[in-house]
Amino acid sequence: MLLSLNWLREFVPYTGEVQTLCDRLTMLGLEVEEIRYPFAPLDKIVVGHVVERVAHPSADHLSCCKVDLGYGEIVDIVCGAPNVASGQKVPVAPIGAVMPDGLAIKKAKLRGQVSCGMICSERELGLSEDHSGIMVLDANLQPGMALAEALNLDQIVLDVGITPNRADCLSVLGLAREVAMAFNLPLTMPQFDVLEQGEAFENFTIDPDPHLCSLYQARCIRNVQIGPSPQWLRYRLLAVGLRPINNIVDTTNYVLMECGQPLHAFDGDKILGHCLRVQCAQDDMEFTTLDGQKRQLTKDDLLIWDAKRPVALAGVMGGANSEISDSSSTVFLESAVFHPVSVRRTARRLGLSSDASYRFERGVDHICNTWAMNRAASLMAQLAGGAVAPGVARSEPRPFVATHISYTPAKASTLLGLSLTNDFSHQTLTQLGCQIDDTQLPWTVTAPSYRLDLVREVDLIEEVARVYGMDQIPATLPAVRKTLDDLTLVDPTYDFINEVKDWGRGVGLAEVVNYSFVGTADLNKLGLSELGRVHICNPLSEEMNVLRTEIAPGLLHTLRHNMSQDNVRVRIFEIAHAFVHDGSCDTATKENNRLGILLHGNRFPGRFPYTEGTVGYADIKGLVEHLLLAIHVGSPKFVQGVGHPYLSPEVEIQVQGQSIGRLGKMRDDLADFYLARHEAWYADLDLDLLMHMRGNIVFRPLPRFPVVRRDMTFIAPHDLAIGDIIDTIMALQEPLLEDVYLVNVYEPAESSARNLSFRFVFRHPEKTLKDKEVDKITARISQHLLKQLPVHFS
Amino acid sequence: MASNIIDKLESLVPELTSALGQASSLEEVEGIRVRFLGRKGLLAELMSQVTTLAPEERPMVGKIANQAKAAMTSLWEDKVTAIKSQKQQHGLEIFDPSSPSWRPDLGSIHPITKVTREICSVFTSLGFDVVSGPEVENDFNNFEALNMPLEHPARDMQDTLYISDSILMRTHTSPLQVRTMLSRKPPLAVIAPGKVYRRDSDLTHTPMFHQVEGLLVGKDVTMADLRGILTAFVHKVFGQDIKVRFRPSFFPFTEPSAEVDMSCVLCGGTGRKDENPCRVCKETGWVEILGCGMVDPAVFAKVGYDPDEYVGFAFGLGVERITMLKYGVGDLRMFFENDLRFLGQFA
Repeated sequence: MLLSLNWLREFVPYTGEVQTLCDRLTMLGLEVEEIRYPFAPLDKIVVGHVVERVAHPSADHLSCCKVDLGYGEIVDIVCGAPNVASGQKVPVAPIGAVMPDGLAIKKAKLRGQVSCGMICSERELGLSEDHSGIMVLDANLQPGMALAEALNLDQIVLDVGITPNRADCLSVLGLAREVAMAFNLPLTMPQFDVLEQGEAFENFTIDPDPHLCSLYQARCIRNVQIGPSPQWLRYRLLAVGLRPINNIVDTTNYVLMECGQPLHAFDGDKILGHCLRVQCAQDDMEFTTLDGQKRQLTKDDLLIWDAKRPVALAGVMGGANSEISDSSSTVFLESAVFHPVSVRRTARRLGLSSDASYRFERGVDHICNTWAMNRAASLMAQLAGGAVAPGVARSEPRPFVATHISYTPAKASTLLGLSLTNDFSHQTLTQLGCQIDDTQLPWTVTAPSYRLDLVREVDLIEEVARVYGMDQIPATLPAVRKTLDDLTLVDPTYDFINEVKDWGRGVGLAEVVNYSFVGTADLNKLGLSELGRVHICNPLSEEMNVLRTEIAPGLLHTLRHNMSQDNVRVRIFEIAHAFVHDGSCDTATKENNRLGILLHGNRFPGRFPYTEGTVGYADIKGLVEHLLLAIHVGSPKFVQGVGHPYLSPEVEIQVQGQSIGRLGKMRDDLADFYLARHEAWYADLDLDLLMHMRGNIVFRPLPRFPVVRRDMTFIAPHDLAIGDIIDTIMALQEPLLEDVYLVNVYEPAESSARNLSFRFVFRHPEKTLKDKEVDKITARISQHLLKQLPVHFS
Repeated sequence: MASNIIDKLESLVPELTSALGQASSLEEVEGIRVRFLGRKGLLAELMSQVTTLAPEERPMVGKIANQAKAAMTSLWEDKVTAIKSQKQQHGLEIFDPSSPSWRPDLGSIHPITKVTREICSVFTSLGFDVVSGPEVENDFNNFEALNMPLEHPARDMQDTLYISDSILMRTHTSPLQVRTMLSRKPPLAVIAPGKVYRRDSDLTHTPMFHQVEGLLVGKDVTMADLRGILTAFVHKVFGQDIKVRFRPSFFPFTEPSAEVDMSCVLCGGTGRKDENPCRVCKETGWVEILGCGMVDPAVFAKVGYDPDEYVGFAFGLGVERITMLKYGVGDLRMFFENDLRFLGQFA
């Protein structure tokens, strides 16, 4: 809400500092977001007196003027306007001034004549579109006076943020009430008379839908002359961000800004059949609003109809068929109270928020309605020379009913943690316009018609706190009480995720955070199924129109960004929800905490003493194993899969017989697409599953007897998996074999076989093993392997 | 015969001295030890000849042999010690403390996580429990139960991303308050950190951001308690000297409602930094950091708590904003670009 300080002062005689006013309003919950100076570009423009005008000696359309700029300074100005004349008072931009359009005024020579400034048109001053000639000012003005002052422009405008509950403050009057209360100043309403004359406005039917319109009234103003509004009105509207149109429309806007009641002016001669109805549209109806747009309506949209056709979208915008034009002479002035929800629904659906709809949606003051209508009628008579017809066409299906609220002053103190006196509550509520019956407790407080937000006791408590000063509330620490059950019911998710994040940091990965939504194209690119996707119906862009069914696209975005920044060594992880449609959830979406790990580039930092080489399967697998060990879920199995949409090779990670995720290499074409320069290895794990699988730590006593280690080397074909060899060994279930692992691989050039050296670790729980005993076991193992697998010894 | 052996024994010491004198490594010294003092060494060989002597000669020769052995052993040990010490000295001379290391990679926690944790730990230390929940929500939990019925103008305060008419991306983490109240009985104190979504994208807004919301419900909770909790939070995260200001505001789910400002961390609340207008607080000396209020009785009614019996407070803050203030990060979008040079600073 833009509030002009001058305008405010017409209601309240506030003479203090602007900053003090702003601070007080802010602390009352009416946050002043900005102090604007709408006419600041005119700071250097002054009133000049054209002392002498002669025709330019060498140009027909130019005049040479001597202009008195006050303080004895007379300058030569060459002016091209046809209407410049000696004796005029005119706005002058002196040398050094910068015009609103950025033009800097300098000393110039025009066809040989010196010009030290510019006499300005309204357009050049940004005051209107008028460029037919220079602006001629009131002849009584003093030369040298600042133009803004001479025109009494609204130079200071406060941008006040109005919260949705304070519909009453969407007007100068509303804010004036707050200022009057805050500074204990009198509030004065503008005085006016409605001079009724001519034929009565009667036999006119108003027929409102009683549910959607509680009051509808109209006046008729005849013989108006449509034309531009006077300067003061035009400039005031400009100052608060409204575009002046003509004297009738400007008047409705002026009164709207003044008291918050939206009004609409119809061209009375275009309203057919002496009636106005307020009734809903039908589905698929079309209606052209006064901005020339054809609107598709539904049966929920409320319309104003004459005898034959709709003439306005109630509370939102008038119709093109009945708008005020230059030739209009009869005005029907509508002042109504429409249902907030109905107006809001229509305005939102049509994307057509207007100053009127904004106020109707939040609720207007029913009681002020007549005042607003008469105020506008009076102004129209004054500004457009019209005659207000005697009588008002009116229907009020639901008269205003004031809200009575029980209020116990002590409750305010208890809730706020303050000690407020009853007198303070009483005084504050009274100042806010409430009526109080305090003959018994609780008091009965009647809220004023403009405070539709005051309905319950707690609303009144808030008012009292607001006026007392919310910042006066002291700080104490509450005792947080809980039940024993609460302690055991704590949701473990937050802690578990943090544990995994700490793990990631510890193993040298950087945590990343990506948007939960990506573009359909991203999911398609990865070959992810179209089934189960959760789409956003009103996305900001095509790149953010669907939720991630897997989190990989986010990590790939991060990869791409870092590639473009030449951060080639990428070791990142993300923990985020993956979203898949599931009709059985109360949100129709199954959300799953996933961990994604992506590695790309050098395994080591690429400096001495590290070796060269880029990451591969062993790196990503190692991280997964490390995590699973760290969270005690048991040893994983890695099983090669086929047909994964974006990983190749693809390996399924199994723990406790369940699949908990996948790892593998990003398909080459995808890696290229995301600007990868090397192989990108990726793992995706289901953290919800892992959280539930993690086991307790079970202590085992330390072994008392030493181990015996034996190494054996086999020659095995390349396509024989190391895991198969180990599985075959383990299948023997040798009780004394504690561990077996690969210690060396030798791959002779141009051979289809490789040499694999395994280390076997043996231990007896109750004695030291002898060589002979171990020899027997290793013999068993090697015979078994030779029999089961295509391996041999060298 | 005996004198022959004695001569030989006596010549062993100078021979050893000379041999050790030429040796420079432990390996050579060990070779010399084996040659002179080993099981088949020179001394042992001479000793084996003692048996060929007359019995009366033996003690004297034995004595001389023992003396030679002791002298040689001592010489040898000295040499070993000398070489070891020399080696250590040499090691010190060539040691280069500036030589590069095998340094494990430094991982990092995203600044948003870091600050979320810091915020949560303030509240958990005061007894709040952390709750988590879905990011796709239904209209009831996100709006309706929070006193924002359909077509309520307050819905304009949060531009919403919709999945369908009644399913949406949560616009705040407040639905977790609703879920908690629906599943638990008071008293309770919870905080809900998480991602939230709005249909908004410009220099100062991203369509996804993070919030931490808190809720405390009990029987004699006051707005002064709310101020206490939030003052504790500001002091712990930003320091004891920071001032806290309560300013009336509006949220549909709290009444009374307040915005909380803290004195500007950049200019110290003066509004000016290095004689220029402060860019963080725009000269006001205050920065808005969170919204809060007493739980609106209508919310209690929606979740089946008796509004006459219970009171509570709720607050919500934007993690990005706190992070930007805390670390002086100027550009919101950096949080979601995940540039490794940015993330690396939060290791």
